[in-house]
Amino acid sequence: MWLFRRGFLLAGLLCAGSFAQPPPKQYIGSKICGACHRALWAGFTANPHFRSVASGAEAPERTGCEGCHGPGREHIRGAGDKSKIRVFPELEPQQVLAACLKCHAKDFPRSQIRRSSHTLAGVACTSCHSIHSSPETQFLLAGAQREVCYGCHPSVRTQFAMPFKHRVNEGSVKCTDCHNPHGAAAPTWRMGQRPAMTATRLGNEEPCLKCHPDKRGPFAFAHPPVRVEGCEVCHAPHGSMNPRLLRRPAVFTLCLECHTGMGNFGRQGDGIRRTSLTHNLADPRYRNCTACHVRIHGSNADRRFLR
Amino acid sequence: MKSFRGGSALEAALAGAMLAWVCQAQPVAAPSEPLMVRKDAGPYTIENSWELGYRFRTAGGNIGKYRSDVNFGNGVRLLASRLAIHSRDGKARYFDELVATTQGLGNDPYQSATVRLRKNRLYEYNLLWRWNAYFNPALTISEGLHRMDTTRRWQDHDLTLWPDSKFQALLGYSRNRQEGPALSTVDFFGAFGDEFSVFQNVRRERNEHRAGGEVDLRWFRFRLIRAWENFKDDTFTGLPAPQGGRNPDDALTLETFRRGEPYHGNSPGWRGALFLERERWLSVSAAGTYTGSERTFIVDESAAGAGPAGPFDFQTLVYGVGRRPVATGNATLSVFPSQRLSIANHTAYYNVRTEGDSLFQQFSNRTFEFEQFQFQSLGIRTVVNATDVNYSALAWLGVYGGYHYSTRRIRSREFLSSGGFEELVAAEQENTVHSGLLGVRIQPAAGLTVNLEGEIGRADRPFLPVSEKNYHLLGGRVQYKRGSLLLSGATRIHYNTNSVSLSSHSSRSRNYTLDFSWAPSGWLALDAGYGKMHWDSLTGIAYFASRRFVTGERSLYVSNVHALNLGMQTILSARLRLYLGYSRVEDTGDGRRTAAEPPLGSPPASESPLFRAVQTFPMTFESPLARLTVQLRPDLMWNLGYQYYGYRERFTSLQGYRAHTGYVSVVWSF
Repeated sequence: MWLFRRGFLLAGLLCAGSFAQPPPKQYIGSKICGACHRALWAGFTANPHFRSVASGAEAPERTGCEGCHGPGREHIRGAGDKSKIRVFPELEPQQVLAACLKCHAKDFPRSQIRRSSHTLAGVACTSCHSIHSSPETQFLLAGAQREVCYGCHPSVRTQFAMPFKHRVNEGSVKCTDCHNPHGAAAPTWRMGQRPAMTATRLGNEEPCLKCHPDKRGPFAFAHPPVRVEGCEVCHAPHGSMNPRLLRRPAVFTLCLECHTGMGNFGRQGDGIRRTSLTHNLADPRYRNCTACHVRIHGSNADRRFLR
Repeated sequence: MKSFRGGSALEAALAGAMLAWVCQAQPVAAPSEPLMVRKDAGPYTIENSWELGYRFRTAGGNIGKYRSDVNFGNGVRLLASRLAIHSRDGKARYFDELVATTQGLGNDPYQSATVRLRKNRLYEYNLLWRWNAYFNPALTISEGLHRMDTTRRWQDHDLTLWPDSKFQALLGYSRNRQEGPALSTVDFFGAFGDEFSVFQNVRRERNEHRAGGEVDLRWFRFRLIRAWENFKDDTFTGLPAPQGGRNPDDALTLETFRRGEPYHGNSPGWRGALFLERERWLSVSAAGTYTGSERTFIVDESAAGAGPAGPFDFQTLVYGVGRRPVATGNATLSVFPSQRLSIANHTAYYNVRTEGDSLFQQFSNRTFEFEQFQFQSLGIRTVVNATDVNYSALAWLGVYGGYHYSTRRIRSREFLSSGGFEELVAAEQENTVHSGLLGVRIQPAAGLTVNLEGEIGRADRPFLPVSEKNYHLLGGRVQYKRGSLLLSGATRIHYNTNSVSLSSHSSRSRNYTLDFSWAPSGWLALDAGYGKMHWDSLTGIAYFASRRFVTGERSLYVSNVHALNLGMQTILSARLRLYLGYSRVEDTGDGRRTAAEPPLGSPPASESPLFRAVQTFPMTFESPLARLTVQLRPDLMWNLGYQYYGYRERFTSLQGYRAHTGYVSVVWSF
């Protein structure tokens, strides 16, 4: 209890630090904006940004309409002169980003936003978020999450329309289950190249392992590609024409592309072990690799993943 | 057709729905759009929408494949619901925001629910619950013999205390459970042996608890979270009935088989993050994690049967432990010398060591006793450094570029001890990648944007033949947006060549897409897209066939996917709305008509005849759909939906199916 009270006291002291700034004269408060922008103001109470108004404790430059659009006094004096206020559709992407990051920069999921491929490609916050009229219940998205993403990634729409896919169109899986659209740190698999905005999970692992923890291990005998190159070396995570989201229609063709025994590949650097003499590939029975190597992601009982 | 220019609330709602639809063409017929009617109730505003309906389907052909791809069934469903309550002044007594949504409740294969409950400055609670019927048939084409008819349930709870203050307490809990029947296989008596189908009762569960806090000081924010993950797998495997196995050449019969293999473990971990920003010129973020995983296992297996040499029985016991400590860290330094220029440097470190020991003991009436101890260790350490520069030279012109460097060291140890024989194999290798990125953004006219970028990379020692070695990517995107008209075209090309002596792998992928959406008037909205995705790879292979070592052959895989999606929504009258859609994905393979034909185009002389029949897989998956919506009142809507699914393979008809699915529903806002 003592600690709890101290925590409250500490939190109160920390909060107090940001209240000290007096409101500059050019800020006039959000309620006046509602006189002209009635429809926007009427729905604003359901908007997360309304919290800054409700709290009554935020600095004027971080409160309500003026928190994003800047001080409104000159805009009103100019009888609604657009040039006297920040109008987002007329801003460059980096200006939009700077305006939003004024409050949201410290949110950890956005810590990589400056170097994210969205920012580099000129995708601004308002490309995906509709601040005033979002039809969604979360994150002020401009539309259903998948449709917002498909808008710029039509090839991904195609992948989710394939017969084998994660159920994004069905509403069961969301893009943000696996991706952080605000940017990601270097992935811990492959060579750390092209983060693809992947949202990592515990231990900065691939997001696949959140829903497929049985593939996570640790196993006594791990199939090295799973950790070294990641799941997508064998699977197409969005969707595939092939069962199990595999990159090839038949399993053995996928396996044999690596198990050639040639070059300096593999954990020993002397080629990845090829199929043995006992594996007569002329016999269709031996083309069912995972019929025997059932624990292909990793095994505890057999180093060849047989059980 | 009646023009839509009325001023009633009903018409306004329809117009709003139409505008929203332009960006929301739904590829699945149900659920329908929610009704968004806001009402005042005391200190709150309420939006409430429920869609209740009946879903039906008839399916023919391969039902297992249908269940794997689509899986909608018959029955009454709460197709969707949405409740949103917000306080009007943000200072209500118990809560300021309650948002709850559901989808597919009742028995749809894809069910979900979300809840967000918030009292400003005091707490925020978020729940996400999902349930999926997960079906994988024993597909012949993929050579996968394993069938699953299991369910998956996920739930994520997150509670934040004092969400608007400088100190926040973060608590969370996640659960992921998979359970249900499955079919698998077991292999017996060495590589010359036999495979038997066995039944599995899958029971896997993952629990994660999180507790931590976040503190926001004057210039920086710090977050620390402690997490505990617990995983347990208690899948039981048994033989449903005596079997002769899949090998027609041997006389083995398995009469009894049972395997229990509990696999339990914990992964406690720490996650820390730090963010610092000096407004307008500098930001620093850093994050680190440490996770120590340990899972223990026992495999207890018994089998009895008969072979050419008489009856046999085996009892196998394997036990041990797998461990994996993982440490990761990254730091990003961003500087903004001017409003038009930003420079970001990102350094990441990853260190993982997976190791496990396993003691294998087998007792039988033939070999009496066999014991083997094995230990394996695989360590990976990766260091990445990436610098990206983004410069907006002019309002209509921006350039960006980057240089990325990464190095990865892999250390491996394998130890085997069996009957006095001991072997230790240790190895170490390192791979380094250098890559560069260059892109340009142009806005030559209002509404028109052009993005072009290219990346080139070189690795010196890739881990797999299919890994990236000498690769380059080219991407381009053109978009024109004016009013409700959106036209876009994009391409992305990825080439990789991994050549070493005696073996080579090269892959090429080329994607092209065209998209169009337009709402020319208040009563019509159109959406169309076409994409072509090409993949091909050529890989050196080596294998044994009929005791002959085959080398020098190459595996050629070709896929050409053409995808089309069309959508049209029209308002037939003030109360009647119709949506028509069509989706088609077709893989034309390499263009040949039968599996036995050699590949078209330029087949290499050494292309493997063994692979020929399965290296291209032409098929078609199409799905037209329609939905009729009748707006009975501003707060009441009736829907009728229909969707057809057709799956067809060109080389075989084993897995083809067609399914007629549909639903009738009422959406009510009250």
